[in-house]
Amino acid sequence: MAAFTYAPAIVLLPFVSFLVALFAGDRMPKGGALAGITATGGSLLLSIWVALTVAGGGYHNEFVYTWVAGVESVTLRFGLLLDPLSALMLLIVTLISFLVHIFSLGYMNDEDETGLPRYYAGLGLFTASMLGFVVANNLLMAFMFFELVGLCSYLLIGFWFREDGPPSAAKKAFLVTRFGDYFFLIGVVGIFATFGTGLFAPITQNGEVVAQSFPVLAEHAVVDGETEAIAMLDTVGLSAQAWFTVLGLLVLGGVVGKSAQFPLHTWLPDAMEGPTPVSALIHAATMVAAGVYLVARMYGFYAISPTALAVIALIGGFTALFAATMGLVKQEIKQVLAYSTISQYGYMMLALGSGGYIAAVFHLTTHAVFKALLFLGAGSVIIAMHHNENMWDMGGLKEKMPVTYWTFLSGSLALAGIVPFAGFWSKDEVLYEALIHGFGTEGGLGTAYLVAYAMGLLAVFFTGFYTFRMVYLTFHGDARSDTARNPHGVRWNVKGPLAVLGVLAATVGFINMKPVAKLTGAHIDFLHAWLAGPDEGGWPAALVTSSHHYEGLLHDVAHVTAGYPLNETPTLLASAAVSLGLALAGAGAATALYRGSDPVEHTDKLGSLKTLLMHNYYQDEYQVWLATGLTYPLARAMDKFDQGVVDGVVNGISSVSLFGGSRIRRIQSGVVSNYATLLTLGLVLLLAIFGLAGGWF
Amino acid sequence: MIPAETYLLLSAAVFCIGLFGILTRRNALVFLMSVELMLNAANINFVAFSLQHGNLTGQVFALFGMALAAAEVAIGIGIILVLYRNFSDVDVTKATTMRW
Repeated sequence: MAAFTYAPAIVLLPFVSFLVALFAGDRMPKGGALAGITATGGSLLLSIWVALTVAGGGYHNEFVYTWVAGVESVTLRFGLLLDPLSALMLLIVTLISFLVHIFSLGYMNDEDETGLPRYYAGLGLFTASMLGFVVANNLLMAFMFFELVGLCSYLLIGFWFREDGPPSAAKKAFLVTRFGDYFFLIGVVGIFATFGTGLFAPITQNGEVVAQSFPVLAEHAVVDGETEAIAMLDTVGLSAQAWFTVLGLLVLGGVVGKSAQFPLHTWLPDAMEGPTPVSALIHAATMVAAGVYLVARMYGFYAISPTALAVIALIGGFTALFAATMGLVKQEIKQVLAYSTISQYGYMMLALGSGGYIAAVFHLTTHAVFKALLFLGAGSVIIAMHHNENMWDMGGLKEKMPVTYWTFLSGSLALAGIVPFAGFWSKDEVLYEALIHGFGTEGGLGTAYLVAYAMGLLAVFFTGFYTFRMVYLTFHGDARSDTARNPHGVRWNVKGPLAVLGVLAATVGFINMKPVAKLTGAHIDFLHAWLAGPDEGGWPAALVTSSHHYEGLLHDVAHVTAGYPLNETPTLLASAAVSLGLALAGAGAATALYRGSDPVEHTDKLGSLKTLLMHNYYQDEYQVWLATGLTYPLARAMDKFDQGVVDGVVNGISSVSLFGGSRIRRIQSGVVSNYATLLTLGLVLLLAIFGLAGGWF
Repeated sequence: MIPAETYLLLSAAVFCIGLFGILTRRNALVFLMSVELMLNAANINFVAFSLQHGNLTGQVFALFGMALAAAEVAIGIGIILVLYRNFSDVDVTKATTMRW
């Protein structure tokens, strides 16, 4: 498969553009932008080639480079895993990154920003790290690129480091995600210690498995009881399933941090301090998507643990609702989008937790398109508004920037989940999966699914409301400031990416129209076929990463089963109708409240509730309190203990020795006669002791 | 034959004379001579026990002891010469610069 030979170049091209922009960017026209555009464009073409090869039944899972060769222990290697999931993700990341690079010409170059080589170097490294993470075939390599992604987000969020806000936001993003990654790291070490491998999928040669993967080993241990090979279980004294749940939840710590799930979501709204194209990249394709992608990548490991699934579903459902409510009252356009991102990733987690692997990947895809579109649209508005982001200073931009308006509207309809835009199909499938598995699954897991479903459903209404509140405030009514009356124009390099994404946001949902497929009986749910992989005889080893395998695991191990309150098709249609109805109700409420030529702040009527929402449920305050009120005194007490007791003992011993030494050295008088006397006395003393002990006297 | 105890008594007497000299005298040369006395007391013991047990090893050791004493005297006199050059005296209680 020739495409797979060139696959490493997908990662290396943006990395080269990073080096070029960093070292030669200031001598190049456009500050290194062209290198980045060429590199990501090349990666995009290669990704398309890889995707076509995978579509033709291709599959690739090989090691590329060994960097620690273990003797009778773990060997650490870099390798590439190219299957339908990673091929799809490669397409998303390279496409968004390519468009963001072009958009940056309008947002950064045309606005005469300084430090452009640093900016494009950051973008290049960011893209390269994410692509490396996507193609990683083992957990340690994924972790390393995961951390690189975090580093790049730090560099780019803090791009305008001379102002007050961005450096602080960058540090916050870095520290909060690092807190989650701390658990991830322990999880990685735990998985290597338990299984001796971090492979996501087994490596085969001529049909023989030459290197087994950890999800498959875990599956064998839980399903077939083959726990002999896993010595770690005796050490920890837990059953296989319980221990794998612990490991899964540890890795989930990194996911919660990166994908901005409650309670580690607080970094994401602050990350809006970075340049808007970077926000688009972070939210749509690179950083935030990494968490959800990781769960999907090692889904076989989570599918055997009902507890982990319930935790993922509940975190997702809660985050979806929680973030959506905060988005209702925000005044800045990018803040609204930030909370919508958190909320939408909550949906993906909800889908993953409730057994909707395909639904999650589907929502990841559509969200990447429409959220990139919305952020780039917001970027266009921000250019027009001379970097004023307050929606209450906008209004009436519809006539002045029609391309931005219509594309933004397309993205908004997708975000709100209005048929037939992309978000409708994916969000509907997410909720449908949660619903049927909630009904079908017995015990606490089913209840957890239903609770998560209810929260997700409620969030649909809020999503419709805040989305259209944003659209009306930004584009409709009368202009509410001088800049809005006379906005700055935008050029092709802004309109081009918007047009591409605007069309995609309207159409990308057609890859998986499940309700239509069920009604007509036509096989148009292409994503299902894509993630299931080729039929019999395609690639046997890869079957453990196909959606069929995951469905089997969910059913057999976690006992996640589908149940229908009505019959199957009516349930599907009713679920779609309910979520569409709620989305329309939310959008309608926003229309009714904010349509006029001079809308007022209706959210003021919420009173103290608005204050609570504006302060983000005091999440930041409570986290700061955790740091200053709890961790800091605790650290001080520990410091006292360390300085006082531990160091005190060490210092005490040394001062006793010093004091004793300074006294006893006095016997070294320099007079030879004294030494002779001491020697003689010592001899006499020894003789006396021997005599007494030996009974001579 | 003279009994071994007599030699041992002689040896103890010589050793004590040497020890007394070291503890009471200040002249470095007398020091050296006292040390020689103590060494020879040990040699007497060697020879006495060699005679007692009919084993020649002790006599050989006595020869070694004499060689050792000669070497020691050579070094000792060298040290005393240097002592005299530095302190214009051979009184051991005056050379007290090597101290704490």
